[in-house]
Amino acid sequence: MKKIDPAVKKETLRIAVGTVLLSGVMELVFVLLGKWDLTVLFGNLVGAFAAVLNFFLMGLTVVKCVSLPPDKAAAKIRVSQGARLLMLAAICGLAALFPKVFNLIAAVVPLLFPRLVIMAWQLLGKKDKSPVCAAESDGETAEETTTEDTEN
Amino acid sequence: MSQIAIAIVLGCCALGAGVAMIAGIGPGIGEGQAVAKACEAIGRQPEAKSEVTSTMIMGCAIAETTGIYALVIAILLIFVAPGSFAAIVKSF
Repeated sequence: MKKIDPAVKKETLRIAVGTVLLSGVMELVFVLLGKWDLTVLFGNLVGAFAAVLNFFLMGLTVVKCVSLPPDKAAAKIRVSQGARLLMLAAICGLAALFPKVFNLIAAVVPLLFPRLVIMAWQLLGKKDKSPVCAAESDGETAEETTTEDTEN
Repeated sequence: MSQIAIAIVLGCCALGAGVAMIAGIGPGIGEGQAVAKACEAIGRQPEAKSEVTSTMIMGCAIAETTGIYALVIAILLIFVAPGSFAAIVKSF
């Protein structure tokens, strides 16, 4: 079995935790509206699982693609995106075909949770501590140092 | 008459779902370009691979949401809207 990239693991875990939290909020909204039943729970489970799985697969593909030549990487990511979209459509179709088991709305809404999690993460300013920002700030420091050295 | 109206509604829902899924093409192209540029960036600076990868994953997730919006609309048009529209047509 191939080793999973640590970046993919970390980001997927973050997205999964956020999706679970937002799923809880969604369940609460259904309860408050008086429309909660087991189909909502099952739909939510399916939708959240599909959202996290989609993110995880995307991460794996991106990690695999960054070591390829640019044109092959672009082609591969396009194919992967289409396949993942089909997977999501199949899962949602499954939820729609069994309305007595899955609530369609509760299955579809969690697909949008990863974006909300990322937006919330950025709004909360947690992204500032990521290695990218650290590298950027290091880069600026290095540039400033170089400029000072040149001036001296 | 109402059967023709319902058939038109169903056809329009299916057409609308198909048109909505055109939006699924864009994210694929965008992600492809972004990853291609990331490959070039890593080629120039191999030591920045982990940072580029981490940022790429988040960027791709954001870009992909557009396609998911389209999918959601298409699914609602296929599975939810026809029933609602048919009920409205029958009520007339």
